[in-house]
Amino acid sequence: MADERTFRFYECFALTTLTGRKAADILDLLDIMKTVSRESIFHHMHQYFLKPHAVEPEFPNDFAVWVSESLGEPLLAEALANVNPFEFAKIEDLRFELMRIIHEYLDTYPPPRPVLPGREFMFNEGITIVLPTSMECGPQLHDFLLKLREVDYSSIYFHFYESRLRLDRPTDDFSEYLSTSLDRPGIAARIKSLDPYMYSTEVLREKIASLIEEAL
Amino acid sequence: MSLKDYEGIAEPGDLRAIERMASVLAGRKMLHVNSTAAGGGVAELLTRMVPLFKDIGLDVRWEVMQADRPFFEVTKNIHNSLQGRGRPLTREMWDEFARVNRENAGRIDLDADFVVVHDPQPAMFIDYRKRGTWIWRCHIDISSPDRAAWHQLKDIVGKYDGSIFSVANFAQSLPIHQFLIQPTIDPLADKNIHLEDEEVKAVYERLGVPLDKPVLLQVSRFDPFKDPLGVIDAYRLAKKYHDCRLVLAGGTATDDPEGEKVLAEVEERAAGDPDIHILLLPPFSDREVNALQRGADIVLQKSTREGFGLVVAEALWKKKPVIAGDAGGIPLQVIEGVTGFLVHSVEGTAYRIRQLLENPERAERMGEAGREHIRRNFLTTRNIKNYLGIWTALERRDEKVIYI
Repeated sequence: MADERTFRFYECFALTTLTGRKAADILDLLDIMKTVSRESIFHHMHQYFLKPHAVEPEFPNDFAVWVSESLGEPLLAEALANVNPFEFAKIEDLRFELMRIIHEYLDTYPPPRPVLPGREFMFNEGITIVLPTSMECGPQLHDFLLKLREVDYSSIYFHFYESRLRLDRPTDDFSEYLSTSLDRPGIAARIKSLDPYMYSTEVLREKIASLIEEAL
Repeated sequence: MSLKDYEGIAEPGDLRAIERMASVLAGRKMLHVNSTAAGGGVAELLTRMVPLFKDIGLDVRWEVMQADRPFFEVTKNIHNSLQGRGRPLTREMWDEFARVNRENAGRIDLDADFVVVHDPQPAMFIDYRKRGTWIWRCHIDISSPDRAAWHQLKDIVGKYDGSIFSVANFAQSLPIHQFLIQPTIDPLADKNIHLEDEEVKAVYERLGVPLDKPVLLQVSRFDPFKDPLGVIDAYRLAKKYHDCRLVLAGGTATDDPEGEKVLAEVEERAAGDPDIHILLLPPFSDREVNALQRGADIVLQKSTREGFGLVVAEALWKKKPVIAGDAGGIPLQVIEGVTGFLVHSVEGTAYRIRQLLENPERAERMGEAGREHIRRNFLTTRNIKNYLGIWTALERRDEKVIYI
C-alpha cells in the first residue's frame, strides 16, 4: 500500500494440482483423508470461494458436493456441508472434524455403494498466484466502493477469506482498512460480522457494497 | 490477434492477470512442440494461443515434428493403448518411436526457458533437454491404459518437471508435479465468432436444411461412442410430440473404416425420413459448424465415452441448451438443469428434448446460463493465464502462495 490511507486491491487465482489419489467410496475417502496433505484438505474446503460460479453449487465444500451428487447420501452431505472451515485455526483440527463426522455416520448407517468409474473423488491441491493490481483508492469511502465493484471476484476472496490465513485471526482486509485507515468502525464491524462461509465471492461483494452504500 | 481483442468478452481479471505475469516473463523463451501443424485439437489450440503469447511479449516458438507414416502408426497405437484399446507394442515400434524423436530433437532448437511438449508423440524430446523448465501436456484420457504401454511411457514422462491434464480423472499417478488445465474455446476463432443471422440462414440453405421447424443438432464424428443411432432413436421418440428436424453433422470418413461403417448404419436408420439431415462436412468447415450451432434450437452430444467434449462448450457459448451424455469432461460443462441436461439413455434424451421444445423460455434461460458459464471458465484467455501461472509455479516450486 502506498500509505496507510490507501487501499491497494490484489487479485489472485488458484492452479489446481493433482495428488493422484482418488476415492471410489466413503471408506476410501476416509482412508485417504487420514493421510492426505494439509494443502489438499484446505483446497477442498476453500476452493469454492475462489472459483467463478455462473451457478452456485448446492454446498460450499467439495466433500459435501461429492457425497451428495456422486454417493447420493444427503444426510452425510448435509453434515459435511455444515463444517465451517473458517472456524478452524488449524487444518489438522478441520481434518479431524471431517473424519469424526464420517465415522459417526458409519456407526449408524451402512456404507453406501461405490460410485461409477469416472465419478471418484479426486484429491487435489492448490497453488495460489497473487497479483497486485493498479486499482487503489484513497481515503474516500465512495472511492473504495467504486473500486470494490470493479475488481475481480478473486480480489474479494483475497481480502476477505485469504486474509484470515494471512493475518492468522478472524478478520479481513476490508474491515481492518475501514476501521483503522478511514475511521469507520461501524461499517467495519458490520462487515467483520458477515459469516464468510455463507457467501460466494460475488454475493459477498454485493453484501459489502450495500453495507457501504447504507453508510454513505 | 491481440489480447486487447478479448476485452469486453473475457473476464477483465483474467486479462489483468495475464498482463501482470507477462510483464515479469517478457522476453523469455517459450517453446511448444507437437506432432501436427493442422487438423486436430492441439494444432487448433496452438494456432490460436501462440500469437497471443507473442502479443504479450514472450519469445514464443511452435515446432512441429517431421515424421512419416510408420511413426504415426506407432503413435496412433500408443495413443489407443493409453486409452486402453490398443494392440501390443513391440520392441521395434518403441525403437521407431525413439528414432523419430531423436532425429526431430536434433533438428529442432530446444533452447528455451519453458518447453511444453504436447501429447505422447514428442514425449522423448525430454532426453535432449538443454535447459529450462519442461512440462508434458497430456490432452488425452489415460486413466485406464494398457499397463505395458503406460509403464514404458511413465518412465519417459517422469523425467519432466511437471505435467498437465485436462480433467483430474484422466490422469495417472506420477512422481512429478501434475497440474489441471481445462481445455478452452476461442471466442474469436471462426468456429465461435459471432455470425449474423443472414449468414446462418445462408449456410442452412446451402446445406439443404430448411429452418421451418425446430432443429436438433449433433456435431460429431460418426463414431459408436458418440451414439448417433441413439440420437436418431431419441429424435423419433420426441417427434411424436413435437415436429422437428435432426441434423447430424460430421466429417467425411474416408480414412476411417469404422467411421464408414457407423455412417452406413446411420444412413440406414435415417432412411426415408426427410427431416433427418446427415451432413458430411469437409475438413476446416469451422464457419459452417458455427452457423449450424447458431441455427439450432437444441444441441445434442449423446456421447457414451468422451474426451473433454469441447463441442459442448462451443454450443453453450452460442447460448444453446445442451443435452449430453454424462461422460468425460461433459459434466464440467453441462450443469444439470442449468446449462442443459446430462442423459444416460435414449429415453432420457427424448424426454429432455420434449421438455425443452415444450418450454422454449427455459431453453433460452439455459442458453444464457451456458454462455456465462463458458465465458467465466472456458475461454482461451483462461488457458493463457494458467500456462503463465504454471510456468511461474514451476520456477518457484517451494511456494504455495506466490506473489507476483
